This record gives sequence, structure tokens and C-alpha cells, in this order.
Amino acid sequence: MKIMVCIKQVPDDSVKIELDESTGKPSVEGVEPIVNAFDTYALEMAARFLETGIEGEITTITMGDENSKSSIKNCLAVGASHGYVLHDDLFEGSDAQGTAYALGCAVRKIARDEGGDFDIVFCGIETSDETSGQTGPMLAESLGYSLVTNVIALEKKDGVLHVKQETEDGYNIVETPMPCVLTAARPNYDPRYPTIKSKMAARKMPIGELSAADIGARSDKTGESASLVKTIELAAPPKRKAGIKINEEDIEEASLKAFSIMTDANVL
Amino acid sequence: MTDRNVFVYIETADGESVKVGPEMLAPAREAAGGGKVTAVIIDAQSDQAAEKALIYGADAVITAACEAAPPENTVGILTAMAEKYGPDIIMIGSTPAGRETAPRLAARIGAGCVTDVNALDITDEGIVWTTPLFGGTILENVGISTDVQVVTIRSGAFKCGEAGDPSGEIIPEEIIMQDGDVKTKIIDSVVEISEQVNLEDAEIIVTGGKGMGTEEDFQKIQELADVLGATVGATRPVIEAGWTSRAHQVGQSGKIVSPKLYIAFGVSGATQHITGMIGSDYIVAVNKDEDAPIFDVADIGIVGDAKKVLPIFIEECRKLKGI
Repeated sequence: MKIMVCIKQVPDDSVKIELDESTGKPSVEGVEPIVNAFDTYALEMAARFLETGIEGEITTITMGDENSKSSIKNCLAVGASHGYVLHDDLFEGSDAQGTAYALGCAVRKIARDEGGDFDIVFCGIETSDETSGQTGPMLAESLGYSLVTNVIALEKKDGVLHVKQETEDGYNIVETPMPCVLTAARPNYDPRYPTIKSKMAARKMPIGELSAADIGARSDKTGESASLVKTIELAAPPKRKAGIKINEEDIEEASLKAFSIMTDANVL
Repeated sequence: MTDRNVFVYIETADGESVKVGPEMLAPAREAAGGGKVTAVIIDAQSDQAAEKALIYGADAVITAACEAAPPENTVGILTAMAEKYGPDIIMIGSTPAGRETAPRLAARIGAGCVTDVNALDITDEGIVWTTPLFGGTILENVGISTDVQVVTIRSGAFKCGEAGDPSGEIIPEEIIMQDGDVKTKIIDSVVEISEQVNLEDAEIIVTGGKGMGTEEDFQKIQELADVLGATVGATRPVIEAGWTSRAHQVGQSGKIVSPKLYIAFGVSGATQHITGMIGSDYIVAVNKDEDAPIFDVADIGIVGDAKKVLPIFIEECRKLKGI
């Protein structure tokens, strides 16, 4: 069983990112880069799946600059055996379609090099920065694989894959052939932490670097010039003004005061 | 003004259109200019949803009788319909299925795709779509450069237009599925959450956060909700603690709500939560921490223990309502 987990390095999602009015860009300066949370769930689910006694390996890949190697290293410390960074000026400014195209080229190229197709290509359902959720489904189209979204667990049964898909009121069990693309939702556990030993081991593992030429990506299919969706501008959402703050010793008095303002405002 | 033909794919559940379905007809009309707005419904029972689409402004409805329409079928059918009718814009609701369908459809027909649209602006250069970044703390205005544009529309972002007479043509279409169109199969569907929680249409929402302290205290939120005829909301940490089901979750990964009154007890106001409730008309927040970010958006903030304020509110509301 060969599993590819696609990850993206994003700014720490516990930090509130707002528009920097002076640059017109998101205020990500100084915010620690982390692996997108949904991608860490994909990796953890893949690792747990293999730990059920299935022989196999996890490869992880990201598109990004030199910097994103640290995120791949983090993945190598918590279950992945191989890591790659897709890096080329050509990829700059790609929209989701250009990204999915390049990832598709890379998945095929690595499969050829490592001697065998990936059975599962796993992505997080969306990233905390773009929150568009397009890359996984588009990657499935690019590769011509089947797709199951909102995955919270997987199991191999009689040679096929049974995937637990979260729904609004419960879950589905979906049978899918392999190869397939899966997108991970949040399972009811946290991903494992690396140990000192696994961190040390990850530090020594090589990380492959792939350029557009390495994966045979065409310049008319990826990067800014091929982008079908163009950003016009970023804007700050309308601000809401804070109203009255009641801070009093006597909580009953404070409550009654608030309550009378509410009745005066006719909101009850 | 440019005239555009707009397709609106209306997802159904048990023969009825999902909430965002008719809501999309308003922005669809705006984007269409003098062009035609056509609803597309894929369901064995499409009568109700088709009539509703005509009432809320569709010029015509294409129906495709198909027993079950998992996203895989939908992508194939919409691709065929797009090729046959050549719409300029295809709108899809931002439901879990819609968020899967739209990017696949866009990739298949070579269209640009924007998800979670919550506003649009028609300019001389084209349509500007607004979509949230970082969970809504930044808005991105984008344009799509392809002839066909695929967008998903966020539920609750647009209000349904005025109801009118259901006039317009209903066009039944034959479905011809290609071999290999459907690769996955749902072999079991389990309902874990049986309660119906309608946060999106609620006029009043009373939400509890981890600041309620214990599950027992959280349950008392229901008492206030009952007195006010309100719906109970919850934050993600509350769901994760197992105090209530995720059907109650308000926020980026739950429901985006816009009630007339939103009362938050023991909610600190993580960005992901604020994004989901900032559209409320009037916000009341109770929290021990006077620096809690929820106070930045509240019309009234009470600095204090939510557990102590809740019973006082329940009593006062009872008096007010005469219950």
C-alpha cells in the first residue's frame, strides 16, 4: 500500500490574521509556519491505517519554497517515510487548478521513480489560509482517480477500501476502488506528537526537491499566467463596533443592568 | 450591461431543495442581467423543488430524474448539461456535496472556480466575486477569466428574493450515465444526530462555550432557550468535550448564523467562532475575562461568571414573558 499525503505550510491558525492596510496583504509577518491542520489529520489517519497491519509506506509532498522543508521534516517525524518539496518560480501565483495540476504531475513522477502507483492520495479538506477546499477534488480530476471527501477513518475490507465519511447528521461508509483521492476532515482525536527519537531520525532523512521540469509540468497549465482565477484585491471585512461593557462587582446588578438595556433595545 | 445565462444547481434532500438553493436565485438574477436563470434539479422527485425555484425567480427549470445523486453523478450530469446548454455561470450551494461538485465540474469543463462566495459586484470588466480568506478575517475579491465561471454560494449569504408566480418552463432531461462515471458506492449511511437543529433560520440563538464550566451547567442554556423560543448554539470546544452534538456548532467549521439576537455565555470568541456569528443583528456576551475578544463585537458585554448570569437571565426572561 502506497499512500501520498499532500500538505501545505500555512501561518499558525491560532493567530488571528488580518489585512495589513499598509501592504494590502495578510499580516503573516512573524507568524510561525505550521502544517495545515486538516493535512495533519490526513497524515495521522494514513499512519493509523497502516498500523492496523497493512504493509505500506507514506510519502509526503508540498508545494512551496525552501522554507517548507521544515514542514516536511515534521511529517517525517510523525509517520511519513519519504518527503518531497515542489519548488519552481513557475509555480508562483498558481490557482487551485494550477496547483492540482502540478501535484498530479508530481504524484505520477514520484510513482514512476519509486516503482509503483500510489493507492491513496490524501489531502486535507481545506487549508486554513485559502479555505477554498478545491485542490483535493481537482487533483482527483487531474489524476482521473475516484474521490471521497470529509474522511474521518479508513479500513481495508476484502481488497477494497471502506472509507468513513462524515455527514451533517452522522456518517457514510463509502466503498471506493484504488487508486483514489481522499480529503480529510477532523477525526475525534489529535494527531500524534513527534518524539525526540523520531525527530532525530527525521532530521537525517533526505528530502527530494522537484522542479517543474523534473515533473514535466507545462507552463501553460500552472503558475500565474495559467491562473483562471485572478485576485483583484484583498479587503478587510466591515468592522463591528463594540458596545457597552458592564464590569461591576455585583454580578446580579450587572446582569439586571444588561437585561434592562436589552429590553429597552427591544431585542427580546 | 452584459447578459449572461446562469445555471443554478439546486441540491435536494428527500425531494426538497436545501436552504441555499432558492437563496442563490437572487444573486443569479443579478449576475444574469437580461440573461436567463435556469435551475437544475437532479432528483427522482423534483416537483416541489422545481416549483420553489420558479416561485423564487428561475426562468426555467431543467430536471434530471436520477434516483440518488451523490456528487460523482452530479458532476457527470452537470458536465453534460453545461455542454448542451452552454451557460456562462454555474452556481452551486456551498454544502459539503457542493464543495466537492464545483471544483470537479470546473476542472472537467476547464472553468475557473471560486468557492464560498458571499457577495458579488457586477462591473464593466466582469463579475467580482467576494470570498473569505483565513476563515473570514480577510475578504478576497476575485475575477474568473474563463468563458464559463463556476462558483459556490455560501448558505445564508443572500436572502431569498420575493416570492412570485411559479411561471416558467420545466424541461425534463434524459440522463445518460457513462460507464465509469460512478466509481464509489455508499454501502451504509448512519444517522447519529437525530435532533433537528435549525441555527440558520433562528431569530434568537443562545450559545454556550467552555466558560460554562461543566456539562451540567451547559445544559441550563437550553432552559433559557426554551423561555425565549431560541435555538441552542455551541462552540467547537464544547462539541469536542461531548457536551452536545455538532449539529449545534456555530462558526467556521459549523454553521454561519445571522439571528436578530445572539447571546453568548462563556464564549471567549476565537476567530473561527466570531466568523460564524458576526452577522447577528444584536450580540450580548458574558465572560469572566474582560479582555475576551468576544467583547470587541458585542453590543452588550457583561464581565463576570456566565454560570451566575444565566439563572438571573432565565428568571428575568420568565417574568418578561409571563411564563
